Amino acid sequence: MATRTITLDPVTRIEGHLRIDAEVSNGQVSKAWSSAQMWRGLEIILRGKEPQDAWILAQRICGVCTTVHAIASIRSVEHALKVKLPLNAQFIRNIIMAQHSVQDHIVHFYHLSAMDWIDVLSALKADPKKTAALAQSLSDWPGNSETEFKAVQDKLTRFAASGKLGIFASGYWGHSAMKLPPEVNLMAVAHYLSALDYQRKAAQIVAVLGGKNPHIQNLVVGGVATAINVDNLATLNMERLSLIRTLMEETRDFVKKVYYPDVLAIAEAYKEWFKYGAGVTSYLAVPELPIDEDSKGFTLPGGIITKGDLANFRPVRTQADEYLINNIQESVAHAWFDGTAPLQPWKGETAPNYTDFKPDGKYSWCKAPRLAGQPVQVGPLAQILVGYAAGNGWVKPLVNEANAKLSIGIADYHSTMGRILTRGMRACIMADLSLEQLDKLISNIASGDQTYANPTEIPNGEFQGVGFHEAARGSLSHWMVFKNKKITNYQAVVPSTWNASPRDEQGAMGPYEASLVGTPVADPEKPLELLRTVHSFDPCIACAVHAVDPAGKEITTVKVL
Amino acid sequence: MKILIFGAGNLLLSDEGFGVHAIRYLEQHYRLPEDVELFDAGTLGLMATHKIEESDRVYLLDVVAAEGEPGTVLRYAKADFMLNRVPLKLSPHQAGVQEMLLISELRGRCPRDIFLLGVIPATTEPGETLSPVLQKRLPEIAETLVNELRASAGLSIASR
Repeated sequence: MATRTITLDPVTRIEGHLRIDAEVSNGQVSKAWSSAQMWRGLEIILRGKEPQDAWILAQRICGVCTTVHAIASIRSVEHALKVKLPLNAQFIRNIIMAQHSVQDHIVHFYHLSAMDWIDVLSALKADPKKTAALAQSLSDWPGNSETEFKAVQDKLTRFAASGKLGIFASGYWGHSAMKLPPEVNLMAVAHYLSALDYQRKAAQIVAVLGGKNPHIQNLVVGGVATAINVDNLATLNMERLSLIRTLMEETRDFVKKVYYPDVLAIAEAYKEWFKYGAGVTSYLAVPELPIDEDSKGFTLPGGIITKGDLANFRPVRTQADEYLINNIQESVAHAWFDGTAPLQPWKGETAPNYTDFKPDGKYSWCKAPRLAGQPVQVGPLAQILVGYAAGNGWVKPLVNEANAKLSIGIADYHSTMGRILTRGMRACIMADLSLEQLDKLISNIASGDQTYANPTEIPNGEFQGVGFHEAARGSLSHWMVFKNKKITNYQAVVPSTWNASPRDEQGAMGPYEASLVGTPVADPEKPLELLRTVHSFDPCIACAVHAVDPAGKEITTVKVL
Repeated sequence: MKILIFGAGNLLLSDEGFGVHAIRYLEQHYRLPEDVELFDAGTLGLMATHKIEESDRVYLLDVVAAEGEPGTVLRYAKADFMLNRVPLKLSPHQAGVQEMLLISELRGRCPRDIFLLGVIPATTEPGETLSPVLQKRLPEIAETLVNELRASAGLSIASR
C-alpha cells in the first residue's frame, strides 16, 4: 500500500487549535506531526503587570482549566517570596483543585473521548431491558433502569427520524473499529446525556468556595479570601458546607458508579488498545494536595519515570524540587518563535515568528519543553504510574483492582487505553479526596484555627518563582520574574505543551507524535484510530477562540500572525 | 421568568472577549432586577450548559464570524444559529456555544427563547482591551439590549 498523508485539521472546521498530520504506510502510521495552530499572548500581556494580580488574567488562558492557571500563577509568587500557607487555605485550595478535576474528567470522557468508542446508531438497536440488566450488573446507580434507557432510546429514535441525528455525523459510526454491543452503546449514551448534570454539581462546589465559577475570585498571595464562620450567615457557614458535602457525594457516586464502570466496560471491549499509543514512556508528575503549612508533605506523590522504568523512578518530593526546576527547558527549534538554544522558562523568550507549516522545519506555535533534554509525558497516566511506583495508598489499590478485573499488567498502561483508564482512576481519587479534604477543613476550623491567609506585601527588588500544579491534564508550571513589583518575564508551561510538543533540536518527537507512530489505520478516509489516541491525552491547546458562525458552516476566524 | 445574559469570549484576545466586556459594562452601568442574571462565561463551552438550561430566556453576547464592518451587531433567533451537526473536535475547548445548545437540545432542556447578539470583531490579536471600534460601540449595544429587556419582558431597569 502506498504512503499517504492524513491531516486532521480542525482549523478548517471550527475553532481550530490543534492540527495532526500523519503519514500512513502499509496500514499504519509511520510519521506524525502535532501542531498548535494558535498563539497564546498571555506572556506578553502580563509583562509590566503586578505579580499578585497575574492569577486573575492567567485563569483566562483557557475556558475549561480556569482555576488551575489561577493556582499555578499565585503559587509562583508564593514560591518567589517563600510564603507559607495556613492549613485552612491549603484545604480550601485542595478542594477547589480536586473538584475542578472531577468536573474536567467527566466532561472530557463523555463529551470528547467516549464518542470515539461508542456507536450511537447502534444504541438504537439495543434492548432497553437487557441494557438495564447489564448496567445493574456493573453498579447500583439508580439511573440504570429500563425506563430510563427506554426514554433515552426513544429520544434518539425521534432525533434520528427527524434527520437530526446527523448532528453527530462527524462521529465515525458504523466504522469497522467500533465494536461495542448495542446495549453497551445505549448505556453509554444515556450516561453521556446525564454527565452534564454532575459536572454542574462540581462547578457549584467550586463556585461556593471560590466565590464564582468558572473564574474563582478568592485567591490572595499567602492564602484564600474565603471567609468561613460556621455560625455567621453572611459567610461560608455550616449550611453551605453541608451543601458542598452533599454535592461532593453526588459527584463521587456518579464517578464511581457510572463513569468508572463505563471506562472499565470500554477498556474490556477494546483491550487491544492497551497495545497501541505508548509513545514517550518517560513521565513527570509533581506532588499535589499539600497537607501542611510549609508545603513539604503531599497527599499524592510526584516523580520522574525514565523510559518506562518504574523501579528506578526519581521522587519529586516538593514543588520546590531543585532538580526539577533546574532541568526544565523549552526548545523553539521547530516552533514559530525566534531563538536559538533551549531556555529555562525564567529566561524564556516570547518572540513569535510565523513561517508556515514545514514538516522538517518549524511547524507549531507550541514550544518543546524538555526535562533534562528528554521529552516526557504528563497527565493522569504519569500521576498514577508515579503513585503506583511510590506505593501510594490512594493509587495502588485501584491499579491492582483494575489489573485483576481486566487481566492486564502495569506494562499495559503505556498505551492509549492506559491513559483513558488512569484518568478514570484519577477521577475516583479526586472525588474521594474532595471529601477527605472537606473533613480536614471542618475539623481544623472546629479546633479553633481561624486563619485563611498570611497577608503578603510584594517587596521591592528582583524575584523569581515557579508555581507547579498537578492539574487535570498533568503537570503545569507558571514561571514568573518580577522586579520592583512589576512582572518582567512570565512563561506558562502547560500540560498540553509537554504532550503536544513538536520535535526538538535532536529531532525527538513529542508525546502525541510518538504515540501515533505504529497506530493501525483501517480506513485513511476515516482515521478514527488517530482520534482515539490523540483524544486519550485530553488535548487542551489553550486560548479558546470561539467566534459563532451564523451560517453553521465549519469555520474559524482565528487570525494567526 | 428567569433571563440570562450570557457573555462569552476570551478576555486575552481583544475583541474576542467582547461578551465578557459587555457583562462587566452592564454590571457597572445598570441596576438589573433579580431575575436577570449576568454571567461571565469566558470560554467555558460545554461546562456552561446548565446556566442555559436553568433559564427561560437567554441572550448570548459574543463575536460572530460574519462579513461586514467591525462593530456591526447582528441579532439571531435560535433557529438562525443552531448547528445541524457536531463538527470533529480534537479538544473540549473547541466545543463552543453552538455545540452546547445542540447537546442541550438532545437532552430536551434547551430553552426556546435564545437570542444571539453577535458583534463583528475588528481584531482578535492578543490584548486585554477592546479595539477602539468596539469600545465605542459597547454602550450603544448595552443600551439596545436593556431596551429590549424593558420592552419585551416589561422590566424596569435604571441606569447607575
